[in-house]
Amino acid sequence: MLASVLLVSFAWSSGDPKQYGKPLTVKKATKVSEILANPEKFDGKRVLVEGPIVDVCAKRGCWIQIGSDKEFEMIQFKVEDGVIVFPMEAKGMKVRAEGILSVSTLTREQLIEQARHHAEEQGTLDQFNPESIKGPKKVIRLNGEGAVITK
Amino acid sequence: MALTAVYSISGIAVNHISDWNPNYQITKEFQSIPPIQGESREDIIRQALASLQLEEAPRNIFRPDPSTLQLFYNQKTISVDLPTGNVLIERTAQRRVLFEMNQLHLNRPKKLWTYIADLYAVALLVVAVTGLFVLKGKNGITGRGAWLTAIGVVIPIVYWIYYCRAN
Repeated sequence: MLASVLLVSFAWSSGDPKQYGKPLTVKKATKVSEILANPEKFDGKRVLVEGPIVDVCAKRGCWIQIGSDKEFEMIQFKVEDGVIVFPMEAKGMKVRAEGILSVSTLTREQLIEQARHHAEEQGTLDQFNPESIKGPKKVIRLNGEGAVITK
Repeated sequence: MALTAVYSISGIAVNHISDWNPNYQITKEFQSIPPIQGESREDIIRQALASLQLEEAPRNIFRPDPSTLQLFYNQKTISVDLPTGNVLIERTAQRRVLFEMNQLHLNRPKKLWTYIADLYAVALLVVAVTGLFVLKGKNGITGRGAWLTAIGVVIPIVYWIYYCRAN
Protein backbone atom coordinates (compact mmCIF):
# COMPACT_ATOMS: atom_id res chain seq x y z
CA MET A 1 0.00 0.00 0.00
CA LEU A 2 2.73 2.44 0.91
CA ALA A 3 5.04 1.17 -1.80
CA SER A 4 4.44 4.01 -4.22
CA VAL A 5 5.08 6.62 -1.56
CA LEU A 6 8.19 4.78 -0.41
CA LEU A 7 9.39 4.61 -4.02
CA VAL A 8 8.92 8.36 -4.32
CA SER A 9 10.90 8.82 -1.09
CA PHE A 10 13.64 6.55 -2.42
CA ALA A 11 13.87 8.46 -5.69
CA TRP A 12 14.16 11.68 -3.69
CA SER A 13 16.89 10.33 -1.45
CA SER A 14 18.89 9.20 -4.49
CA GLY A 15 19.85 12.83 -5.14
CA ASP A 16 18.43 13.03 -8.67
CA PRO A 17 16.74 16.27 -9.71
CA LYS A 18 13.05 16.09 -8.91
CA GLN A 19 10.42 17.56 -11.20
CA TYR A 20 7.36 19.35 -9.78
CA GLY A 21 4.43 20.30 -11.97
CA LYS A 22 4.88 20.96 -15.68
CA PRO A 23 8.23 20.50 -17.44
CA LEU A 24 10.33 23.63 -17.77
CA THR A 25 10.08 25.32 -21.15
CA VAL A 26 12.18 28.48 -20.71
CA LYS A 27 15.84 27.74 -21.37
CA LYS A 28 17.55 30.87 -20.06
CA ALA A 29 17.16 31.87 -16.44
CA THR A 30 16.52 35.47 -15.46
CA LYS A 31 18.32 36.71 -12.37
CA VAL A 32 16.00 37.29 -9.39
CA SER A 33 17.83 40.57 -8.73
CA GLU A 34 17.06 41.69 -12.28
CA ILE A 35 13.35 40.98 -11.77
CA LEU A 36 13.22 42.72 -8.40
CA ALA A 37 15.06 45.76 -9.75
CA ASN A 38 12.51 46.29 -12.51
CA PRO A 39 9.44 44.10 -11.86
CA GLU A 40 7.10 45.99 -14.21
CA LYS A 41 9.29 44.95 -17.13
CA PHE A 42 8.51 41.30 -16.37
CA ASP A 43 4.90 41.66 -15.18
CA GLY A 44 2.73 39.00 -16.86
CA LYS A 45 5.73 37.39 -18.55
CA ARG A 46 6.90 33.79 -18.27
CA VAL A 47 10.30 33.59 -16.61
CA LEU A 48 12.67 30.96 -15.28
CA VAL A 49 14.56 31.75 -12.09
CA GLU A 50 17.08 29.77 -10.10
CA GLY A 51 18.44 29.95 -6.61
CA PRO A 52 18.35 28.37 -3.17
CA ILE A 53 15.03 27.49 -1.54
CA VAL A 54 15.13 29.54 1.65
CA ASP A 55 11.62 28.85 2.93
CA VAL A 56 8.76 26.43 2.26
CA CYS A 57 5.07 26.62 3.15
CA ALA A 58 5.10 24.34 6.18
CA LYS A 59 1.55 23.07 6.07
CA ARG A 60 0.53 22.87 2.45
CA GLY A 61 3.79 23.11 0.50
CA CYS A 62 2.04 25.66 -1.71
CA TRP A 63 4.89 28.17 -1.99
CA ILE A 64 8.62 28.45 -1.71
CA GLN A 65 10.84 31.48 -1.26
CA ILE A 66 13.74 31.54 -3.68
CA GLY A 67 16.86 33.40 -2.62
CA SER A 68 18.21 35.98 -5.02
CA ASP A 69 21.68 36.12 -6.54
CA LYS A 70 22.06 39.27 -4.42
CA GLU A 71 21.92 39.31 -0.64
CA PHE A 72 18.79 40.34 1.29
CA GLU A 73 16.48 39.57 -1.63
CA MET A 74 14.10 36.74 -2.39
CA ILE A 75 11.04 36.04 -4.48
CA GLN A 76 7.96 33.96 -3.71
CA PHE A 77 7.10 31.12 -6.06
CA LYS A 78 3.42 30.38 -5.45
CA VAL A 79 1.69 27.30 -6.80
CA GLU A 80 -1.92 26.20 -6.82
CA ASP A 81 -2.84 24.28 -3.67
CA GLY A 82 -2.56 20.56 -4.23
CA VAL A 83 -1.35 20.79 -7.82
CA ILE A 84 2.29 21.10 -6.75
CA VAL A 85 3.30 20.34 -3.18
CA PHE A 86 6.81 21.25 -2.11
CA PRO A 87 8.24 19.16 0.72
CA MET A 88 9.81 20.78 3.77
CA GLU A 89 12.96 18.79 2.99
CA ALA A 90 13.50 21.08 -0.01
CA LYS A 91 14.66 23.89 2.26
CA GLY A 92 18.24 24.78 1.38
CA MET A 93 18.16 22.87 -1.91
CA LYS A 94 18.58 24.48 -5.33
CA VAL A 95 15.64 25.11 -7.59
CA ARG A 96 14.99 26.10 -11.19
CA ALA A 97 11.45 27.41 -11.24
CA GLU A 98 9.24 28.64 -14.06
CA GLY A 99 6.10 30.72 -13.86
CA ILE A 100 4.31 33.93 -14.72
CA LEU A 101 5.44 37.04 -12.88
CA SER A 102 2.78 39.02 -11.09
CA VAL A 103 3.16 42.52 -9.70
CA SER A 104 0.36 43.86 -7.52
CA THR A 105 -0.13 46.48 -4.87
CA LEU A 106 -1.73 45.30 -1.63
CA THR A 107 -3.42 47.53 0.92
CA ARG A 108 -2.26 47.42 4.53
CA GLU A 109 -5.35 45.37 5.43
CA GLN A 110 -4.56 42.86 2.69
CA LEU A 111 -0.94 42.68 3.84
CA ILE A 112 -2.03 42.05 7.43
CA GLU A 113 -4.38 39.27 6.31
CA GLN A 114 -1.64 37.76 4.16
CA ALA A 115 0.88 37.94 6.99
CA ARG A 116 -1.61 36.40 9.43
CA HIS A 117 -2.24 33.52 7.01
CA HIS A 118 1.50 33.09 6.55
CA ALA A 119 2.03 33.00 10.33
CA GLU A 120 -0.73 30.40 10.70
CA GLU A 121 0.87 28.20 8.05
CA GLN A 122 4.32 28.51 9.57
CA GLY A 123 3.08 28.00 13.14
CA THR A 124 4.33 31.41 14.25
CA LEU A 125 0.97 33.04 15.00
CA ASP A 126 2.11 33.72 18.59
CA GLN A 127 4.77 36.09 17.20
CA PHE A 128 2.43 37.80 14.74
CA ASN A 129 2.26 41.56 15.25
CA PRO A 130 -0.07 43.42 12.86
CA GLU A 131 1.29 46.77 14.08
CA SER A 132 4.63 46.02 12.44
CA ILE A 133 3.05 45.78 8.99
CA LYS A 134 3.07 48.85 6.83
CA GLY A 135 1.28 49.39 3.56
CA PRO A 136 0.27 49.73 0.82
CA LYS A 137 3.11 47.70 -0.64
CA LYS A 138 4.09 46.33 -4.01
CA VAL A 139 4.07 42.52 -3.99
CA ILE A 140 6.08 40.64 -6.59
CA ARG A 141 5.59 36.95 -6.97
CA LEU A 142 5.97 34.20 -9.48
CA ASN A 143 2.83 32.18 -10.13
CA GLY A 144 4.49 28.82 -10.49
CA GLU A 145 3.86 26.16 -13.08
CA GLY A 146 6.89 23.91 -12.88
CA ALA A 147 10.09 23.46 -10.93
CA VAL A 148 13.11 21.20 -10.75
CA ILE A 149 14.79 20.78 -7.38
CA THR A 150 18.27 19.41 -6.86
CA LYS A 151 20.15 18.78 -3.65
CA MET B 1 -10.10 -2.08 5.72
CA ALA B 2 -6.56 -0.69 5.33
CA LEU B 3 -7.61 1.90 2.75
CA THR B 4 -10.59 2.95 4.83
CA ALA B 5 -8.21 3.48 7.76
CA VAL B 6 -5.82 5.50 5.55
CA TYR B 7 -8.56 7.77 4.24
CA SER B 8 -10.39 8.24 7.55
CA ILE B 9 -7.32 8.83 9.75
CA SER B 10 -5.74 11.12 7.18
CA GLY B 11 -9.10 12.83 6.67
CA ILE B 12 -9.29 13.80 10.33
CA ALA B 13 -5.63 14.87 10.32
CA VAL B 14 -5.96 17.05 7.23
CA ASN B 15 -9.33 18.52 8.30
CA HIS B 16 -7.58 20.16 11.25
CA ILE B 17 -4.68 21.59 9.24
CA SER B 18 -5.38 25.07 10.63
CA ASP B 19 -4.63 23.75 14.14
CA TRP B 20 -1.53 21.67 13.46
CA ASN B 21 0.84 20.43 10.79
CA PRO B 22 -0.38 16.94 9.81
CA ASN B 23 2.74 16.10 7.77
CA TYR B 24 5.70 17.44 9.70
CA GLN B 25 6.82 17.78 13.24
CA ILE B 26 8.75 21.02 13.60
CA THR B 27 10.78 21.53 16.73
CA LYS B 28 12.46 24.77 17.74
CA GLU B 29 15.49 25.11 19.94
CA PHE B 30 17.04 28.36 21.07
CA GLN B 31 20.70 29.01 21.74
CA SER B 32 22.86 32.01 22.37
CA ILE B 33 26.27 32.80 20.94
CA PRO B 34 28.36 35.98 21.07
CA PRO B 35 27.14 38.72 18.70
CA ILE B 36 28.74 38.57 15.25
CA GLN B 37 30.20 41.62 13.53
CA GLY B 38 32.00 40.47 10.42
CA GLU B 39 33.48 42.66 7.74
CA SER B 40 32.48 40.36 4.92
CA ARG B 41 29.93 37.63 4.27
CA GLU B 42 32.69 35.00 4.48
CA ASP B 43 33.88 36.39 7.79
CA ILE B 44 30.35 36.33 9.22
CA ILE B 45 29.82 32.73 8.10
CA ARG B 46 33.18 31.64 9.48
CA GLN B 47 32.45 33.24 12.86
CA ALA B 48 28.97 31.71 13.02
CA LEU B 49 30.18 28.21 12.16
CA ALA B 50 32.95 28.52 14.76
CA SER B 51 30.65 29.82 17.51
CA LEU B 52 28.08 27.13 16.80
CA GLN B 53 30.86 24.51 16.66
CA LEU B 54 29.57 23.20 13.35
CA GLU B 55 32.05 21.07 11.46
CA GLU B 56 29.74 19.99 8.66
CA ALA B 57 29.40 22.49 5.81
CA PRO B 58 25.84 23.72 5.34
CA ARG B 59 23.89 22.70 2.27
CA ASN B 60 23.23 26.38 1.60
CA ILE B 61 23.66 29.78 3.24
CA PHE B 62 21.37 32.79 2.92
CA ARG B 63 20.96 36.22 4.42
CA PRO B 64 17.34 37.39 4.20
CA ASP B 65 18.24 40.71 5.78
CA PRO B 66 21.43 42.40 7.05
CA SER B 67 20.96 41.13 10.61
CA THR B 68 20.14 37.48 9.88
CA LEU B 69 22.22 34.55 8.71
CA GLN B 70 20.53 31.29 7.76
CA LEU B 71 22.42 28.01 7.55
CA PHE B 72 20.60 25.15 5.85
CA TYR B 73 21.34 21.55 6.73
CA ASN B 74 19.44 18.37 5.98
CA GLN B 75 16.10 18.81 7.82
CA LYS B 76 17.58 21.57 9.97
CA THR B 77 17.71 25.35 9.54
CA ILE B 78 19.82 27.51 11.81
CA SER B 79 18.93 31.21 11.94
CA VAL B 80 21.39 33.53 13.64
CA ASP B 81 20.43 37.04 14.68
CA LEU B 82 23.84 38.60 14.17
CA PRO B 83 23.58 41.70 16.43
CA THR B 84 22.32 39.73 19.46
CA GLY B 85 23.73 36.27 18.84
CA ASN B 86 20.32 34.70 19.38
CA VAL B 87 20.09 31.42 17.49
CA LEU B 88 17.00 29.52 16.41
CA ILE B 89 17.50 25.91 15.39
CA GLU B 90 14.46 24.54 13.58
CA ARG B 91 14.31 20.82 12.93
CA THR B 92 11.80 19.24 10.59
CA ALA B 93 10.81 15.60 10.61
CA GLN B 94 8.06 13.80 8.74
CA ARG B 95 5.32 12.38 10.95
CA ARG B 96 5.84 8.66 10.57
CA VAL B 97 3.00 6.72 8.89
CA LEU B 98 0.70 9.76 9.02
CA PHE B 99 2.85 11.53 6.41
CA GLU B 100 2.53 8.54 4.06
CA MET B 101 -1.21 8.28 4.76
CA ASN B 102 -1.69 11.95 3.90
CA GLN B 103 0.31 11.59 0.70
CA LEU B 104 -1.90 8.71 -0.41
CA HIS B 105 -5.10 10.42 0.70
CA LEU B 106 -4.25 13.59 -1.24
CA ASN B 107 -3.01 11.55 -4.21
CA ARG B 108 0.51 12.94 -4.23
CA PRO B 109 1.93 9.85 -6.00
CA LYS B 110 -0.60 10.40 -8.85
CA LYS B 111 -0.05 7.94 -11.77
CA LEU B 112 -1.21 4.42 -10.81
CA TRP B 113 -2.45 5.55 -7.41
CA THR B 114 -5.12 7.67 -9.09
CA TYR B 115 -6.73 4.51 -10.49
CA ILE B 116 -6.35 2.55 -7.26
CA ALA B 117 -8.09 5.39 -5.40
CA ASP B 118 -10.83 5.53 -8.07
CA LEU B 119 -11.37 1.78 -7.74
CA TYR B 120 -11.62 2.13 -3.96
CA ALA B 121 -14.14 4.98 -4.32
CA VAL B 122 -16.29 2.92 -6.68
CA ALA B 123 -16.12 -0.04 -4.27
CA LEU B 124 -17.27 2.22 -1.43
CA LEU B 125 -20.15 3.43 -3.56
CA VAL B 126 -21.17 -0.16 -4.32
CA VAL B 127 -21.05 -1.03 -0.61
CA ALA B 128 -23.13 2.07 0.21
CA VAL B 129 -25.79 1.46 -2.42
CA THR B 130 -26.13 -2.30 -1.94
CA GLY B 131 -26.08 -1.71 1.82
CA LEU B 132 -29.42 0.07 1.48
CA PHE B 133 -31.08 -3.21 0.58
CA VAL B 134 -29.37 -5.61 2.97
CA LEU B 135 -31.89 -5.27 5.77
CA LYS B 136 -35.48 -6.25 5.09
CA GLY B 137 -38.69 -5.37 6.87
CA LYS B 138 -39.26 -2.45 9.26
CA ASN B 139 -35.50 -1.78 9.68
CA GLY B 140 -34.91 -1.89 5.92
CA ILE B 141 -35.08 0.81 3.26
CA THR B 142 -38.86 0.95 3.46
CA GLY B 143 -38.79 1.60 7.22
CA ARG B 144 -36.08 2.90 9.55
CA GLY B 145 -33.54 2.69 6.73
CA ALA B 146 -35.44 5.34 4.79
CA TRP B 147 -35.18 7.77 7.69
CA LEU B 148 -31.47 7.10 8.20
CA THR B 149 -30.82 7.52 4.47
CA ALA B 150 -32.82 10.76 4.42
CA ILE B 151 -30.80 12.11 7.36
CA GLY B 152 -27.60 11.29 5.47
CA VAL B 153 -28.85 13.25 2.47
CA VAL B 154 -30.26 16.19 4.44
CA ILE B 155 -27.22 16.88 6.64
CA PRO B 156 -24.83 17.95 3.81
CA ILE B 157 -27.58 19.86 1.96
CA VAL B 158 -28.64 21.83 5.05
CA TYR B 159 -25.04 22.55 5.99
CA TRP B 160 -24.23 23.70 2.45
CA ILE B 161 -27.19 26.13 2.48
CA TYR B 162 -26.06 27.45 5.88
CA TYR B 163 -22.47 27.80 4.63
CA CYS B 164 -23.53 29.70 1.49
CA ARG B 165 -25.67 32.12 3.49
CA ALA B 166 -22.91 32.68 6.06
CA ASN B 167 -20.37 33.47 3.36
